[in-house]
Amino acid sequence: MRLHPLTSLAAAGSTAAITTAAASLPLSLAVMGAAVVLSARGGTARRLLPAAAAVLLPLGLSLLVMHGLFFPEGRTVLAQWGVARVTAEGLVFALERTAQLGAVVLALLAFSFSVSVPDLVAVLSSRGVHGRFAFVLASTLTLLPAITSRVERIRQAQESRGLVVRRGLHRAAAFRLQAVPLVLSLIEDAGTRTAALEARGFSNPGPRTSYRDVPDPILQRVLRAVLLGAAAAAVAARLLLTPAGS
Amino acid sequence: MSPSLTLPAPAPAAARKRRLLEILGAAAIAATYIYLVLNQPADITGGPGSASALIALSGFLVGAILLIVAVLPALPASTVVLIPVALVLNIVLGQFVGSTLVPFYLDAIGTVLIAVLAGPAAGAATGALSSIVWSFFNPTVLPFAAGAALIGCLAGLAARHGMFRRFYLAPVAGFVTGIIGGVVSAPVAAFVFGGTSGVATGAIVSAFRSMGDTLLAAITKQALISDPMDKAIVFTVVAVLAYALPRRARLQYPFVRRHRVLAGTSPEQGS
Repeated sequence: MRLHPLTSLAAAGSTAAITTAAASLPLSLAVMGAAVVLSARGGTARRLLPAAAAVLLPLGLSLLVMHGLFFPEGRTVLAQWGVARVTAEGLVFALERTAQLGAVVLALLAFSFSVSVPDLVAVLSSRGVHGRFAFVLASTLTLLPAITSRVERIRQAQESRGLVVRRGLHRAAAFRLQAVPLVLSLIEDAGTRTAALEARGFSNPGPRTSYRDVPDPILQRVLRAVLLGAAAAAVAARLLLTPAGS
Repeated sequence: MSPSLTLPAPAPAAARKRRLLEILGAAAIAATYIYLVLNQPADITGGPGSASALIALSGFLVGAILLIVAVLPALPASTVVLIPVALVLNIVLGQFVGSTLVPFYLDAIGTVLIAVLAGPAAGAATGALSSIVWSFFNPTVLPFAAGAALIGCLAGLAARHGMFRRFYLAPVAGFVTGIIGGVVSAPVAAFVFGGTSGVATGAIVSAFRSMGDTLLAAITKQALISDPMDKAIVFTVVAVLAYALPRRARLQYPFVRRHRVLAGTSPEQGS
């Protein structure tokens, strides 16, 4: 069964909300494992894992150094060099936070790598806010790969005019020589696109007809409501059960 | 782009509803911030701390989404088309700088550029949208949506009041924006992440922690070191870019014409 884009978004979002609300290390690790297994079965693990590592490695390293070495609230000192004290509490705090964030990041990335962007845009682009948001989303996702090749072309053009990237201040000058044409051409393109879109009634109100039909079975609609309800319940439970001020 | 001549103009009731949503969004962000700062700075490192994380996340996200819902339908098409360009600039430059060992982010160049060309409302919507779309590749930027919206709004206000007309005023405006933006974003970093996401910024927080500061105090101080410098650089880069644009491209935007945002562009005559 193919999942409706909004169903997988609801699943990822509610997983993220419930993991944050629960704040338990075993659950976070289980969610991380489940996200990796799901994306491996969907065949996206090869792209998911590097993207997740690029986000989580600096974050985890930063938390480990910050709380592992300096945790003034820690009591159980494991080792000490000068001002740096390795405390058990600090290490546990860093581990818990990294796992919690890792679960959220992996769940959301598993969604964004598995969702079919055309389907998501078709679902969103009914009209009004949705339509404009869908345009921004689709346009950004298609511009990103196009822009890297344009940066390369601009660099080659500037190098053929004698640009040599050197160290120090020259690097800033080289950055300017490449950034200005890039931004200029992007804004010029945007102006042209405005005229084209406006001629096709982009900002007119009223319903839109989509040629892409995304089936939305009743079962998935129920599933979405259940997922959102569970996430709201988890958040409410955490907020109500935690005594005020702690 | 002129308003449509053949289609009926939007009803005043719709405009009032959007204004109400704007105010609600701003109020949600302000209330969340005040609640977080007044209520629980001390406990972050004590318990799981997830109640404060949830409040920070939901309050700031709801505020940012309300702002998008209020502003996006009212923007002219020429600005909506520019938003993806700004998002791409934010993501490409922010992803590059965020992974280096510099305690800056430079992830707001596109947002500030839109704010200068199209005004505070467009800047705020771009900032919030940028965080939401970027979270497709990097979910950790999602909680900073409200902070990014605030930066866009402040940059637009600075542009309206002529801070980009003199070259030396742009970094000053950026510095002030950075102070406000940093103070607002610090609770998100503290409560949601328990730290910062970059290695270089993390080193600065560690230094303050080693002097015995609480986590929120250490992160706020780090933000006060990094953010003003970062935004001063961003505003300067945007000023360079805006003045490098040809006159025709600059004057395409009504906000630039009406408020004489950039020096050397005469105010709109007549209309």
